[in-house]
Parts: sequence; C-alpha cells; structure tokens
Amino acid sequence: MKVLLDLRWFFSERKKQYSIGITALMIVALLQLAPPKIIGYIVDAVAKDELTAEMLMRWMIILVVTGVLMYVLRYIWRVMIFGSSVYLARVMRERLFTHFTRMSPSFYQRRRVGDLMAHATNDINAVQQTAGSGILTLFDSISTGGFVILMMAFSISWKLTLIALVPIPVMIFLTSYYGRLLRNRFRVAQEAFSDLNDKAQESISGIKVLKTFGQQKEDVESFTKRSEQVVKENMRVAKVDALFDPTIAGVFAISYILSFYFGTRFILSGELSIGDLVAFTSYLGLLTWPMLAIGFLFNIVERGNASYSRIQDLLSVEPGIQDRPNAVSQLPHGDIVFDIDTFKFPDDKRASLRNLHFTIKQGETLGVIGKTGAGKTAILKLLMREFEGYTGTITYGGIPITRYKKECLRQAIGYVPQDHFLFSTTLGENIAFTNPKIDPAKIVAAAKSAHIHEDILTFEKGYETLVGERGVSLSGGQRQRVSIARALLMDPELLLLDDSLSAVDARTEEAILRSLKEERTGKTTIITSHRLSAIQHAHQIIVLDEGEVVEIGDHDSLMAQNGMYKEMYDLQQLESIVEQGGGADE
Amino acid sequence: MNNKQKMSARDQFKTFMRLAKYVLPMKKSALIAILLLLLTVTSTILGPLVIQRFLDDYVVPLNFPAKEVWTIALIYIGLQLVNIIGSYFQTLRFQEFALAIIQQIRIDAFSKVQKLGLRYFDQTPAGGIVSRVTNDTESIKEMFVSVAVTFMQAIFGIVGVYIALFTLDGKLALYTLILLPLFLILVSVYRYYSADFYQDIRERLSQLNAKISESLSGMDMIQAFRQEKRLSDEFIEVNEGHYRVGLRNIRFDSLMLGPFIDLLYAGSIVAVLSYFGTASFTSVVDVGIIYAFTTLLRRLFQPINQVMQRLSMFQQAIVSASRVFALIDNPEIEPKQTAVSTQHITEGTIEFRNVTFSYDGKQDVLKNISFTANAGETVALVGHTGSGKSSIINLFMRFYEYERGDIFIDGVSLKEYPIEELRKKVGLVLQDPFMFYGDIASNIRLHNEELTDEDVREAAEFVQADQFIEELPNGYEQKVTERGSTLSSGQRQLIAFARTIAMNPKVLVLDEATANIDTETEVAIQKSLEKMREGRTTIAIAHRLSTIADAELILVLHHGEIVERGTHAELLAQKGLYYTMYELQNGTQE
Ligand SMILES: Nc1ncnc2c1ncn2[C@@H]1O[C@H](COP(=O)(O)OP(=O)(O)OP(=O)(O)O)[C@@H](O)[C@H]1O
Ligand SMILES: Nc1ncnc2c1ncn2[C@@H]1O[C@H](COP(=O)(O)OP(=O)(O)OP(=O)(O)O)[C@@H](O)[C@H]1O
Ligand SMILES: [Mg+2]
Ligand SMILES: [Mg+2]
Repeated sequence: MKVLLDLRWFFSERKKQYSIGITALMIVALLQLAPPKIIGYIVDAVAKDELTAEMLMRWMIILVVTGVLMYVLRYIWRVMIFGSSVYLARVMRERLFTHFTRMSPSFYQRRRVGDLMAHATNDINAVQQTAGSGILTLFDSISTGGFVILMMAFSISWKLTLIALVPIPVMIFLTSYYGRLLRNRFRVAQEAFSDLNDKAQESISGIKVLKTFGQQKEDVESFTKRSEQVVKENMRVAKVDALFDPTIAGVFAISYILSFYFGTRFILSGELSIGDLVAFTSYLGLLTWPMLAIGFLFNIVERGNASYSRIQDLLSVEPGIQDRPNAVSQLPHGDIVFDIDTFKFPDDKRASLRNLHFTIKQGETLGVIGKTGAGKTAILKLLMREFEGYTGTITYGGIPITRYKKECLRQAIGYVPQDHFLFSTTLGENIAFTNPKIDPAKIVAAAKSAHIHEDILTFEKGYETLVGERGVSLSGGQRQRVSIARALLMDPELLLLDDSLSAVDARTEEAILRSLKEERTGKTTIITSHRLSAIQHAHQIIVLDEGEVVEIGDHDSLMAQNGMYKEMYDLQQLESIVEQGGGADE
Repeated sequence: MNNKQKMSARDQFKTFMRLAKYVLPMKKSALIAILLLLLTVTSTILGPLVIQRFLDDYVVPLNFPAKEVWTIALIYIGLQLVNIIGSYFQTLRFQEFALAIIQQIRIDAFSKVQKLGLRYFDQTPAGGIVSRVTNDTESIKEMFVSVAVTFMQAIFGIVGVYIALFTLDGKLALYTLILLPLFLILVSVYRYYSADFYQDIRERLSQLNAKISESLSGMDMIQAFRQEKRLSDEFIEVNEGHYRVGLRNIRFDSLMLGPFIDLLYAGSIVAVLSYFGTASFTSVVDVGIIYAFTTLLRRLFQPINQVMQRLSMFQQAIVSASRVFALIDNPEIEPKQTAVSTQHITEGTIEFRNVTFSYDGKQDVLKNISFTANAGETVALVGHTGSGKSSIINLFMRFYEYERGDIFIDGVSLKEYPIEELRKKVGLVLQDPFMFYGDIASNIRLHNEELTDEDVREAAEFVQADQFIEELPNGYEQKVTERGSTLSSGQRQLIAFARTIAMNPKVLVLDEATANIDTETEVAIQKSLEKMREGRTTIAIAHRLSTIADAELILVLHHGEIVERGTHAELLAQKGLYYTMYELQNGTQE
C-alpha cells in the first residue's frame, strides 16, 4: 500500500479530477439504491391495487432521470479517474525520458537498453493500473461495503453485524500478506521481463552478426530460455494471485455460518425477528463484491508498488556529472592545458591515462596517435566531460573545464566520434542535428566541406533521403562523412576528430583534410588517427602508449627523435616499399 | 510498419481464430481449466440456493432438527470447499495456459524476426520490433486470462437466466430476447470505431517506444551536441499525442461500455414496470412475477455488463495480436536457398558473373560485376567510399537477394547451397563490429559451444588481441557491457575479427577489418593471415592499399562498376584510377 503514499504528489496534483471522480462514484453508489426501492413501491402498490397512472408516470420519470443521471456520473468518474491514470503514465514516461537524457555514459555502461525500455513500458503500465483501477476499487469497495455494513448494523442488529465481521480482520491480514508476497515475486517477474527485452533488443541490433555466423537457431533457443524464465516467474506470481479469491470466499463462508448460527440463536431468544435474519443474509450477499474487491485492490496496488519502486530506483540515480555551483557560463576560448596525473574509468581498477602534460595553443591542430587502446578516445572524452574523476586538471582558456557549465563547454566542441551514430531521419536533418532550423545553404556548405555533398546528390531524394536506424542504408564512409558534416555545421571553437577518416579512401581523406585546413584557421582541432597521413601536418603531435605520452613534437622533430613515431612512420613507409618491391617481382 | 488500414470485422475475426488456434495444442489443459471454471460457477450459484433453502425450510418455521440442519450445513461447507479449491486451481490453470500461449507467440515472433531479410531491418527501427515481440504479446495475455474467464462465466450466467425466464413466463421471456440483438448492435458499433482507436494507440505506443529506444542508443551523441532539450521536447510531443488518444479511448469506452449498459438496464426496468403497471389497471397481475422479472433482468445485465467492461481489453488484445501476426506474416524474408546441391564447399573458388544489383529497385548500386577468385587466392576490392564494395559482400553473404547475374562457389550457384553450409564455410568480418553483452570469451565464441577455451585463445592470439585481453583484470572473463562500450574501437574490431577466425572459414571476407587498428598490429595480423593463406580464399576490402598490395587480383570499383583489374604491379603500370589513388596515399606521407 506504500505506493499510494508514494504517489501523494500525483494525487495532490490531480486533486480536482480525483475529487470530482470520487464524488461522482459515491453519488452513483447512493443512486444505485433507488431503483430497487422504486420497484418495491410499485410492486407493493400493484399488490394493494393502489397503482394509479399518475403515480406510475411519476415513478417512471424518476427512474428515467436517475438512470440518465447515473449514466452521466459514471461517464464522469471514468474519465476523471482513468484519465488521471493515463496522465500519470504520461508524466512518469516523461520523467524517465528527461532523466535518461541527464544520465552519464557510466550509467549506460551499467544499464541495458532493453531493461530501460521495460521500465518505460511494463512498469509504467503497472503503476498506471494502480492510479486507475486501484483507486477506483479502493473507493468503490469502501463506499459500497461501508454503506451495506452501516445498514446491517443500524437497521438490523449491530451485535450480529459484529459477529459476522469477526473473520474480516483475518482476511485483511491474509490478503495483505499475499500482497507482500506478490510484490516481491512480481518484482522478480518484471526483472525477468527486462531480461527478455534485453535479449530481443540485442538480437535485433546484432542481427547481421547472427546471420553471418548462421546462429539464428541457437539464438532462438537462448531467447526461448529467457522466455521460459519469464513464464516461470509469472507462474510464481500466479500462485499468489490465485490465493486471493479462494481465501476471501472461505472467510466469507465462515461469516455466513457465524451469522446463521448466532442469528438463529438470537431469534430463539427473541432478540431478532425472522424477517431480520432474512434481510441480514441478503445484505451479506451484497458484501461479496466489496470483499473480493479488497483482494483485487491488494493485488493491483502491490504490483504497482513493485513497479513504482523499480522506476524510483532508476530515477534516484544521480546524474553523473553536473554543473558546479557558480559554474562559468562563458564560451571557452584560448589554450587548452592538460595536467593529468592519472585517470581511471568508473568500475575500472587500472589507470587508463597517466602523466598527461601538454598544451594545445589556441588555433592549433593537435595530432594524437598511439596503438589500439592507448587512450586516444579517452583524452577526448575527458575534454568533453563525459567522464571526470581524474587527478589533476584540464584547463581551457585558463579555467578548469570542470568549472564551465557543461552546456557552454559542449557548445564550443564539435565532436566526430569514432563510432558514428546517425538518427533514423533524413540526411539533411542528421547534418543539421544541432540546429534543425538552420539555413539549408549552411547544411550544403557543411556537406561540401565534409565531401559528402556529391554523394548526396547522387541519391534520388538528395538531402531528404532517409538513412535508416543508425544510418544503415549508407556506406561506412558516407556515414562517417555525414558525422563530420554534422560537427562542421556548428563551426565549433574546438573540433574533435576521433579516427574519423578511417573509412574513407585516400583521395577523400586528402580533400577533407584540405578543407579542414582552410576552414579551421584560427580554431583549435584535435585529430586522432592510426594513419600518419591524417596528422602529420599538425602543429603538434603526441604519441600515446598505454595511456602515457611518450613523445611530443611536430612531424620533423618527432622524426628526429628516432622513437616510436619514427618507427610507425617507417613501418607505414616500409609497407609501401614492400608493395612496390613485391609488385616489381611479379 | 503500415497497418494503418482499418481492421474489418472479418480481419478481427480471423485474428481471433488465429489466436484460438494457439489453444489447440493445449486442448487438454484448456479443457481442465474450463471444467474447473464450470465447477466454481456451479458452486457459486448453488451456495445462495442452499442458504435460501435453509431459510425457507428451517429458519422461517423455526424448526431445527439436528440431523437435517447438520446435513445442510455440511452441504454448504462442502460446496464452499469445492469453490475454494476449484477457484484456486482454475485461476492457476488459466494463468498457466495463458502464459504458455504467450510464450509460444513470442517464440514464433522472435523466430520470424530471425528469418527476416536485412531489408526489413533497414526500414524498421529496432525499438518497434522489440515492442511487438515483448509488449504487444504481453497485452494479448489478458485475452486468455480475464477476458476468456469473464466471457465464459457470462455465457453460463446468461443461459441460466434465460432458462429461468422461460420457465417463468414464455411470452415475456420472448420479449426480453429483443435485448440480445440490441447488445450485438452495441458490440458491433463499438467494434467498428474502437478498432481504429486501439490500432491508433498501439501504433503510437510503438512509435513512442521506438523513440525512447533510439534516443537511449544515441544518448552520447545527443549529449555531446546538447540536444537533450530538443529531443525531450520531441518526445513530449509524441507522448502528448499518445496521451490524447488514450483519453479519447477512455471517453469512448465510457460512453459505449459499462455506463451505457447500466442505462439500458434502467430503460428495460422502466419498460417492464410500465408494462405490468399499465396491465394492472385493467387486469390482475401476479406481484411475484414482477418481482422475479426485475430480479432476473438484473441478473441478466450483470454478466453482460462484465463482458462489456472487458470488451476494451478484448479489442486491445486483438489489435496487438494483429500487429504480432503482421510481423509473423511479413513477406520481407531473407533470401531463400533453393538448396538442391548437397555438395560441400571444398575448394573455395568464387565467381561473380554479371551481377547487377539495386537496393531500391531504381538505382543500380552494382553494375555487371564479374570476376573470379581461384581457390586459395586473395581478391581485393578497392574504390572510393560508396562505390559498392560492401554491397558486393552483402550479396555474397546472402544478406540481400539478387536477381540479375549469379554468384558461384566451386561452380555451384550460391542460391543452391543449404544456408548452413554457407554460414559454416564463409566467414565475414563486418565493417562495424557488434559486441554482445557477456564476456570476452563469449563474444569470440558466440553460440558455438564446440570451441574450447584454447580455440578462443588461439583466435585472439591470431589477431593480436591476446595482449590487451590478458591485461584486463579478468582476462577472457572480463565483462563486456552493451555494445562493448568499455572497450576501445580497435579492441572491439579485434574481438570481432577473432570471432571470425575462430570458426576457421574456408572463405574469408574482410570488410575493412583493420580500419581502426594501428599499423603495427595490422602488420602482425597480415603476417598471421599470410601463414594461414593456404587453402583459404580471401576477399578483402581496404582503403589502405598497403594492406592489399599482395593480392592476386585487385578490383577497382567506381560507381558500382569494375573499372580496373589486375595485380598491384599491373594496375600501377596502367596509370589509371588505382595509380592515382596509390600515388595520393604515398604522396601524403611525404
Ligand atoms: N568506459 C570504459 N570503462 C573502462 N575502460 C575503458 C572504457 N573505455 C575505454 N576503456 C579502456 O581504456 C583504454 C583506452 O581506451 P581508448 O578508447 O581511449 O583507446 P583508443 O586509444 O581510442 O583506442 P582505439 O585506437 O582502438 O580507438 C582501453 O584499454 C579500453 O579498454
Ligand atoms: N542497405 C542499403 N539500402 C540502401 N542503399 C544502400 C544500402 N547499403 C548501401 N547503400 C548504398 O549503396 C551504395 C554503395 O554502398 P556500399 O556500402 O557498398 O559502399 P562501400 O564501397 O562499401 O563504401 P565504404 O567504403 O564507404 O564502406 C551507397 O551509395 C549506399 O548509400
Ligand atoms: Mg579510440
Ligand atoms: Mg563499406
């Protein structure tokens, strides 16, 4: 039942709707008592042969009016209560979504998309039920049940009423116990569902790999296993679920037996008339629904409880990296100084970066090279404040980047990630991602600088071409260049190119580098690459090895150092010499 | 995605029958569940009758013969026990049986997804598909739990009431039969409109989920470009739309369902009372009949009301089911094998003969591609980006169907091999590595349990991944998060490479398999590949010409056509496109 307290904020926000709805519900409960009474009057009148046309007319009009009134009221409470529950789903979904947009990469490393999706679907569903059917059942059972009990107590015998109600606490105790059981089991079942969702999501995203390896059958098996788990956990829920009605029926039967036993004794002792007992039992019959409703209520509410706490658990995860108080809200500009002793990724024991000390002058280009896993991407991620938690500082224009508003820092940065992600809209919209309302001429200009314009023109729909999820219907190099164009469109103060020319051919690479050189004069650029051709013209090059800077300088000075850079250079040269030699042999 | 068409009553009926078919294999357990239901329904009807009897026979005359009273008490207790036990098992049975059906539908849908061609995935967002496989199936469940039970209870109830009505007064009972077509009209009007409404809301829900799913996958991009606000706003709009449609459904349901039935009930009471009332002016009317009639009418309306309450669930289940079935029936399946050949791929000779291909049926992406790779040779594909290199691979891997021209391995058309043979013998390293949730070893092994730890390690060694893997705190057991987000891009590529090497394919296809890998590692991999070249045909795509220079055949692609072919030396001598590309690459290194 805790969830009803937890949802206080919501009920008070929708106070008006709920009060109107519940009032309408109560009025209906009262009006419902009219038709039987009217039937009674008419039957009596007919029996006594006293019925007149006028009287019949009057009662019929009253019946019609109450009927219509009830129709209207029923309509109103449904729209108010169920409408609110749909509204709750909307609010929760929106909260989850905005919360998701604030979570840092380390959150997404721990959580999986399918699981997060399950929260946004199944769990929200269960909470919605609580705010709708749950609340309805609560008030419905209280009003009808309460009313009937009052009638029993005051118009017949409070003593007998008390006796009949003796087993009720047992029932409440049992159902709330089941409720607790149910909550835990339901939570586990929801987790199993999350797992299934994860599996489906992953298989669909990785379908190409599964097909390549011909492992569809095995994958279906592994899906089946998870879906069996879902069945198993849901059966455990069902086992509790199934207890509610029989328990209530059983308790209720005891009530009946008690009332009869004592009822007849009261009759014998003259405390009760026979008619009273007959009426009493028919009232007891009216209690059946409110009693069953209590079980139903516990059932729905505890499910909501489990789901709500699952959602709350997600919502209570702190957004990883937030603005400091008094954060600077100017756009960064100037030199970038790295002064890092060590950096560890969250959940990682090893330091991924160590002893990074270098300066990038405003307007210069920095080249970063190093073996796979050397930490090139890590440097860029730190600069973007995707991760913090390093010892030392990174300053931009003399101010530590941690002191900027994240918003401002990122406004200055155009990022071309190593793994390009495109959204499933048109090419144009993907390029204009940072500013959908931008002048189309600028989109074309950015596309031209990224040398993707020509490609786009060959498509039938040009900039209106849909790219599919993650850009599946583009070639690798096209995707990469769209992603470059997207960053160039911002004309950023600082451009980060993370191995962004790996999927393009030499001619395109050359052309892009050339246009970068032209357009980025006076602006800072960082390029990481495995191909020296992409960085050898940089003002400064750093060579990373296992997270440490081992060499630093421009191309010529690095060549002179005779170290790792020279080695790499020679290797790439050697390759071409071997090629030429190999070619000459044949 | 588009099943925006209106579902006709027939479509709905078909969907319903198709759902019902899922019950067939579970006939027995369905039957048991229904029998249990009958048992509990009967005991709930008999319970009050026993009490009535007790009142009439013993309480009213105030006569309590011990033996009879005990018997009747025991009968009552017995009935209650039957009810309690019966209803427990009945609920359990229905749940069990509903879950089993949902599971079957889920598996069917998921297996179908595995059989769909890549074209389908190009067009459909993953989130939308997941939503059908897991969420739409979930909302079918209610059909077999609450809807089925309520409908059956209602049928028993209605039949019972009618029997009572007819024994009471045949003529009047006939009049009340008018109510039945009235209900039917109501149901069909409801169905007519609500089918649309529910289709609309499921579709919107699916869009909503696709939106969440895509945003979750691209969250780092959204954040890097500060588009959180915009995306949230877009989401809020979709969410708002979904909410509005949800409200509309509630309004419509409230107008047509429960409250409306109550109104009808009030109307019929008015009619009955007026009838008897007016009759009483001229003749004598039996009061008991009026009483019985109004009571029975109430009893008749009760189950009907319950059915109407469940109708929206029913509608929702049918619409969801139709969406799942639309997925199961989707014709966009993967290329079919005619599989007449039982021949195994032994040599690995590959021939492309006049292959022309288009993704959209309009623009040819590949034009008249012909070449032969002899067994054990390496063929390299080079060309500008977007020239069609990966598309050649897409056809060779049977990801997309081709109609013009043909491809042969060992002289047999690709279409004639059983797909298992192709998958076993042809290994591909994709341009974009995909990591599965799990650990490093499971990512190399995938579902192939035959690979020993030793095989896995050897494969990793082959691609030079062993060094970094062994440095990980847990080595091969190191956890891999979703999409391998804690590995560097090059590391992911190495693992994907190792995965293919581990299966030891006869034909190896490399689509820029080392694009994100440093030169030193790349050279080492080249060396290992060279050692293993014997008896293995290789198709390699690379932008770094150095990596393919010793290929036996180099094909230069330009706008989907092979414009030059030959060995490295021959091509250089031709001084064509290849020559310029090569010069450029070495030129920039000066
Ligand atoms: N989120 C993370 N959590 C833990 N470890 C990580 C994470 N991201 C990267 N690493 C590890 O940090 C090291 C550096 O990774 P990084 O991505 O910076 O390499 P890189 O130099 O960009 O390599 P590549 O050339 O392959 O792109 C790698 O060993 C990698 O496994
Ligand atoms: N699934 C698809 N649906 C529609 N068009 C596609 C699809 N995949 C690729 N294309 C188009 O086909 C053309 C050739 O693409 P392909 O991927 O074969 O190029 P590529 O030579 O591999 O280029 P890259 O070197 O950039 O990877 C491109 O214009 C691309 O937009
Ligand atoms: Mg990297
Ligand atoms: Mg490609």
